[in-house]
Amino acid sequence: MSAQPLLEVRDLSKRFASRESRDASLWVIKDLSFSVRDGEFLTIIGPSGSGKTTLLNMIAQIDAASGGEVRFKSESAPINDPKSLNPGLSCRIGYVTQEDNLLPWRTTLQNVLFPLTVQGRLNDETRARAAELIRHVGLAGFENHYPHELSGGMRKRASLIRTLVYDPPVILMDEPFGALDAQTRAVLQEDLLRLWEMGRKTIVFVTHDIGEAIALGDRTLVLSRAPAKVAGEHQITIPRPRDIRGIMSHPDFGPLYQRIRAQVQ
Amino acid sequence: MASLEHSPASPPAASDSGRLLDRLRSRSDQVIVLVLLFAIWQALSLWLGEYWVGSPWLVVTRFYAGLVDGSVLYHAYYTFAEAVIGFVLGAIPAVLLPFALRRLPIVTAVLDPFMVGGYGAPKLALAPLFILWFGIGIESKIALVAITVFFIVYFSALAGVRALDTRLVQMAQVAGANERDVARHIIFPGAVPYVFTGLRIAMPYSIGGAVVAEIISANRGLGYLVQLSAMNFDTTGVFVALIAVTLIVFICNGAVDFAERRLLRWRPASDAKLQASV
Amino acid sequence: MTTQDGALDLAESTKVKWRQYAVTAGRIGLAVLLLLAWKIGAERAGPLYVADPVLVAQRIVTGISSGELLYHIYVTLRLSVIGFAIGCFFGVALPFVLRRMPRVTNAVEPYIMASVGVPKYALVPLFILWFGIDDAPKLWLIGFLVFYPVFIAVFAGIRNVDRRLVNMARVAGASEAMISREVIWNSLLSFFMASLKIALPRAVSAAIIGEFLVGDAGLGYLIEYSRQNFDTVGVFVGIVVATALVLIINAALVWLDRRVNAWRPTERDMQI
Repeated sequence: MSAQPLLEVRDLSKRFASRESRDASLWVIKDLSFSVRDGEFLTIIGPSGSGKTTLLNMIAQIDAASGGEVRFKSESAPINDPKSLNPGLSCRIGYVTQEDNLLPWRTTLQNVLFPLTVQGRLNDETRARAAELIRHVGLAGFENHYPHELSGGMRKRASLIRTLVYDPPVILMDEPFGALDAQTRAVLQEDLLRLWEMGRKTIVFVTHDIGEAIALGDRTLVLSRAPAKVAGEHQITIPRPRDIRGIMSHPDFGPLYQRIRAQVQ
Repeated sequence: MASLEHSPASPPAASDSGRLLDRLRSRSDQVIVLVLLFAIWQALSLWLGEYWVGSPWLVVTRFYAGLVDGSVLYHAYYTFAEAVIGFVLGAIPAVLLPFALRRLPIVTAVLDPFMVGGYGAPKLALAPLFILWFGIGIESKIALVAITVFFIVYFSALAGVRALDTRLVQMAQVAGANERDVARHIIFPGAVPYVFTGLRIAMPYSIGGAVVAEIISANRGLGYLVQLSAMNFDTTGVFVALIAVTLIVFICNGAVDFAERRLLRWRPASDAKLQASV
Repeated sequence: MTTQDGALDLAESTKVKWRQYAVTAGRIGLAVLLLLAWKIGAERAGPLYVADPVLVAQRIVTGISSGELLYHIYVTLRLSVIGFAIGCFFGVALPFVLRRMPRVTNAVEPYIMASVGVPKYALVPLFILWFGIDDAPKLWLIGFLVFYPVFIAVFAGIRNVDRRLVNMARVAGASEAMISREVIWNSLLSFFMASLKIALPRAVSAAIIGEFLVGDAGLGYLIEYSRQNFDTVGVFVGIVVATALVLIINAALVWLDRRVNAWRPTERDMQI
């Protein structure tokens, strides 16, 4: 663990100009600061409407910020001007969004290979890696199916490994398992932890499910209602490897859950 | 919800006055383009001569003169009458037929390839045939317009009858509605938006069909006026007739829009406009 | 229970089968009926008004074997294809150019949309006046008629591209050119195909109408020339061949659309 954080968010602010009322525009996020160490699994939890997606969009440089900065490896990138954004900061920040955003005209394999194709990194080695990831998440045999022929869980898996395949140092995840049923969700959480433990990427994982935040993360940040600020921070001391299905019976789980729930309004 | 969507974000500087300025700028851009178009028209007229391109001013004065002495209105009246009568004669059976066939799926299936063929066939190519049958008067144009409109509206109305929400019908039956009530209160209102999509698409075709037939063979109507002026190398006259035709198209589109808004007040703002303009 | 279900299924499937037979028989019956009506109509109305179907068929056969009819078809098709290519090129290229210039787009859009309302066929006499009596006026007509549906579809398609897919591609490292080619082009392909279904048959019809008015060959010329010489059989031959040509093109486009858009969920459109 190096002293220098890999990703640092400083005084980040975002407001939307209100359409109807002429008075003060709406601050969604105000002076938000936190940092993420290299190899850390950070979970962020907050009530809906607390600007979690907006936060990730700004870190991924899809949306411009109204103030503050995001530092990656201590270098600051200008993110206050929509025109100078660098989405994905040169392929070093991956982003698994809430919707799978698979390209409907590409098969599963072609979708997984998409980032490699556009980055010009398609070769035997990366192809082999893609095939391995596909096997790992149980999509073998579905390589040539189109997205509309896959189940919701399979689409999620495909979108997950589409980001993992090009190995960005930081991966942002925006409630990726939100729309799934409980069973599929648990399986995918297990898959994610397994994949993470193979490579120990830095992950920023946003969710509104307290159990999920505890089960997956090394550390959990609690955001307040808009304008979002850090309302609390919790180290998750439950040792790894973790048993997702049995995690609730771990002695540390209950107290953590209570403390976090008290902060999430 | 839409996570990757560009939010309606505004950089800190943007304010309401900024947005107003934006709107003002876009309006002024549009006015500039309009002025530019007229300038190009005028320049072409000066450069090539009034003989090839009638100047905008000349066209406007001729148009006005035509309105005052009634000559433009005379021709416009025929084109308008052909288009409207043909439109009505084609649209009415086209709307009624799918409703009549709703309970007869086999008959609908039998008719299907013939209807698809009729829809796809180049109806304007039939113009000489209709002129042969009905002469060069108003009847041949009405026939051409009616047949063109019929197939377009038939398929829209059919889509409306088919797209019917079966849950609504069941709900109505549970509530004690009989067959006639279902047709009147569920199926007909549900199909109306589809019918209007068809009418919107068909309207420009009806005027276009009338004009084509007039250009081929007629002794009155705006198509005839276009052709006659062109024969006399009178480009100003051609422009006047073209403007009159275009105005009729806009008026008829406006009428369909108006009728649709009146009949479909329950529906959210339509997005069918763009499709219809294809 | 199971046997009962099986019996029901069997009954159901025989019913469906019978229904199909009835439909097929009905279609054949109706086709025969229409031909018969044509034949009777020809006898009742006289050869000046309705050509005898047998004579029409004979004329088509001799026309094809002598090559004369084939020549007319060739002339019409050649014109349609060239005009179509011109209209299609501008219809696709212009929205892609405008995509990069939002301010210009905003300024010209209302005028382009208003010009949709001008009946293009009414422009033909003007085109003839300006561009002479060769292929040029017909190509302008076909070009305009093809341009509008293609332009509107591609323009709307570009506007409707899912921003989330574009952002995903950006994050994954795709350049603007790659996004145009991969995300935008594929997203609007179905819009584009839908517009081709309108534009291609329209190009053929426009060529025929153009030939009514100017020219000395092609199916339109054949129809109009025959009419002026009171050769009703010739009129019918031209119309039958033109209709067949357009319907074949329609069918080919439906087939092509299925192939190109194989990735789409099964479509329920009615192929109209």
